[in-house]
Amino acid sequence: MAKRLLRIFGPLILAAILVFAVLAMPVTWGFSHVSAARERQAAVSLSPNVLRGKHMKEQALKDGYVPFFGSSEWSRFDPMHPSVLAQKYKRSYRPFLLGARGSQSLTQYFVMQNIQGELRNKKAVFVISPQWFVKNGTRKDAFGFYYSQLQTAEWLTHFRHDAIDQYAAQRLLQMPAANSDHFIYAALQCVAKGEKLTDFQRFYLQTRKNMLTQEDQFFSGIDLPSQNLNRVNQQAKKLPTHYSYSALDRLGGQLGKAATGDNRFHISDKFYKQGLKKELKTGNLKNFQKNLSYTKSPEFADFQLCLDQFSRLNTNVLFIIPPINARWQKYTGLSATMLKQFDQKIHYQLQSQGFNNIVDLSNKGNVPYFMTDTIHLGWRGWLAVDKKVNPFLSKQQPQPHYAISDKFYSKQWQNLAPSDLKQYEADNK
Amino acid sequence: MLSFEPYGNPTYFALLGVALLPLMIGLLYGKRSRLYETLISIFFLVLTFGGPKWTQGVALIIYILYEVALTWGYAVYRKHQNSGPIFYLMVILAIIPLTIVKVTPAVENGQASLIGFLGVSYLTFRAVQTMMETRDGTLKDYQVMTFLQFMLFFPTISSGPIDRYRRFEADYRSVPDREKYLGMIQKGIRYIFVGFLYKFILAYYFGTMLMPKLQVMAMHSRGGFLDLSWPVLGYMYAYSADLFFDFAGYSLFAVGTSYIMGIATPMNFNQPWRSPNIKDFWNRWHITLSFWFRDFIYMRLVFWFMKHKVFKKPTTTANVTYIINMLVMGFWHGVTWYYITYGLFHGCALVINDTWLRYKKKHRASVPHNGFTQVFAIFLTANMVCFSFLIFSGMLDKLWFH
Repeated sequence: MAKRLLRIFGPLILAAILVFAVLAMPVTWGFSHVSAARERQAAVSLSPNVLRGKHMKEQALKDGYVPFFGSSEWSRFDPMHPSVLAQKYKRSYRPFLLGARGSQSLTQYFVMQNIQGELRNKKAVFVISPQWFVKNGTRKDAFGFYYSQLQTAEWLTHFRHDAIDQYAAQRLLQMPAANSDHFIYAALQCVAKGEKLTDFQRFYLQTRKNMLTQEDQFFSGIDLPSQNLNRVNQQAKKLPTHYSYSALDRLGGQLGKAATGDNRFHISDKFYKQGLKKELKTGNLKNFQKNLSYTKSPEFADFQLCLDQFSRLNTNVLFIIPPINARWQKYTGLSATMLKQFDQKIHYQLQSQGFNNIVDLSNKGNVPYFMTDTIHLGWRGWLAVDKKVNPFLSKQQPQPHYAISDKFYSKQWQNLAPSDLKQYEADNK
Repeated sequence: MLSFEPYGNPTYFALLGVALLPLMIGLLYGKRSRLYETLISIFFLVLTFGGPKWTQGVALIIYILYEVALTWGYAVYRKHQNSGPIFYLMVILAIIPLTIVKVTPAVENGQASLIGFLGVSYLTFRAVQTMMETRDGTLKDYQVMTFLQFMLFFPTISSGPIDRYRRFEADYRSVPDREKYLGMIQKGIRYIFVGFLYKFILAYYFGTMLMPKLQVMAMHSRGGFLDLSWPVLGYMYAYSADLFFDFAGYSLFAVGTSYIMGIATPMNFNQPWRSPNIKDFWNRWHITLSFWFRDFIYMRLVFWFMKHKVFKKPTTTANVTYIINMLVMGFWHGVTWYYITYGLFHGCALVINDTWLRYKKKHRASVPHNGFTQVFAIFLTANMVCFSFLIFSGMLDKLWFH
């Protein structure tokens, strides 16, 4: 019987041991090298696997790529897109696009967790979408889609006991995604309460982190989408050989004009015809954003996580606040006053803590061919971004001086009415 | 609170392995501990129906009590009397919960019924079958405890295979001898590992990686004839592959686990893609379900029609019954146009297949039969089946009405 049992279970046990050994051992197995071509591909792939992973990002950032945090705007590849310009004009930097549709501050905070070494004392670009700052903040399903156990485990192995960690843990516990690993969930509960992790928990997290790191090394490069890199290469061909701002601005206008046709919002016709036109016929879109507000949101505290992290790593960040297409804004009834108030609130959060590199484009919503669609930058808008991004990244910058304040995690700040902002500023001087 | 999809992740399998180990040792030494089996059954049922899904757990308990009352009551009644109407009434009562669960989404805008739980269909099949065999007199010794074990046998509770009471009872009451049991373990382990390949590699590839992309492409390419396009064709094959590998993988887990518990639960799939015709396909695809339909709907209807001389020709009887049988199966999947069309499609396919086979038999000399026609038959059957799965998938519904 013993012999027969060994024949049945021997291979099974052996396989289990081998798999566990390969995954749990902190060895790189020769997968550490990422070729320049794959880095180029990963930097513009916008693939959720890359965002959730570590290996690709880490290697590329070590090789001179700069993290560009943001969301859906990155997928608008036209000739003035930062990735296209950087490639065409052989800039000293290359953008590594982090984020896609639905990724917001909380996702970005966890994305930063396993590239800390590559952010420390370096530069980064961060696009703040006003649309993130809705009443309920990040959507739970969108957060779940980009959620990475690897990043959470990594964060839990180096967290400190302070406001940032407690807030992050509490916020994560509100997300169904946190439940995907029972032990991680239990550890998060400890961190949220400010308790210490047990030895077993630390051992588990370390082992889990090793396993996930190995998995990421083995698998995150598989099935890397290449269509975006092809797009970048295509778009680069439309650019003149030598950079000249005025020539490019003219070209942006021409390209924009050609692509927008004669639709009412002066936006990309392709986008317009992809469902928007049909939706407009129903009349449901007229004034549908009348009561929308971006001024009270948990996103303000989530965003503070990112600021806090940048400050700890002494990362010099250039923030970009994109506008909203003015015609669209008027049609949908989105309040201009409210947008102005959002702008003031976010400015206060940034500047009062020493984040002074801000490219505020929020008043450019009516510049022709600035926006490719309703809320996303395009052509001349991208060029305006480049005008600030290029010198920021190419030239030496003065050392930033951050003064982080935990009050931005408070409910009071999250829900502060814009009318009370002046008073708040005065109180907190 | 831990909560799992059955066979959903590595932790579930790890727990399964640990729980089955004492049971395995027991069986190897000729002992079957009812108590231990009951305990691990309860443990895994709580994992599946507890925690955030506790409402399902409550629904399951009430449902089980209800079905036990019906089957037990009928078994007691049947010992003394045998009236047709009482039998029909009992069967109707037994399927009422399932009917409510299936009809609710259709009338309540897709909302799931409160009395539903994972596996309600499969439990109903088992209960109805127990009742029918009691009526036939083939099941004489109905035991509540055995019935409970049969219904709540955790490896197969959520999606089958649909075992039969008497077959299950025979295995459950006995202990396989060591040689035989070692063979069962070996098979069980092999099934579970093939299941890993099917469910976690192949079904993942087709279902999670390929299908969503094809769906987006198909939705973007609308506008042509009936909104059809090449991506729709790709989706049809990807969906069919996903359906097969996902369900066959799951069935392999369920059968493999049963084997390790010393219960030879019947297999659900037997190389369905090599069927030369649609009838053969249904003997190879979701076997326990199609045999259940064959034994308890098709055969019963045919007998009833013949007894009451409803149709003159036996072929008409068979054809009408095929259509009814498959329509019932369509309705069982859910009350939507595409499930019902799917049922009707397979009913018609069976009728056409029978007609063709009769024709072929009569004209044996003039209809060629060779390697090429065999391959062609398999190709045609597989593609017809894939097309029927495209209807079943609801993709056409999305293409046309959303």
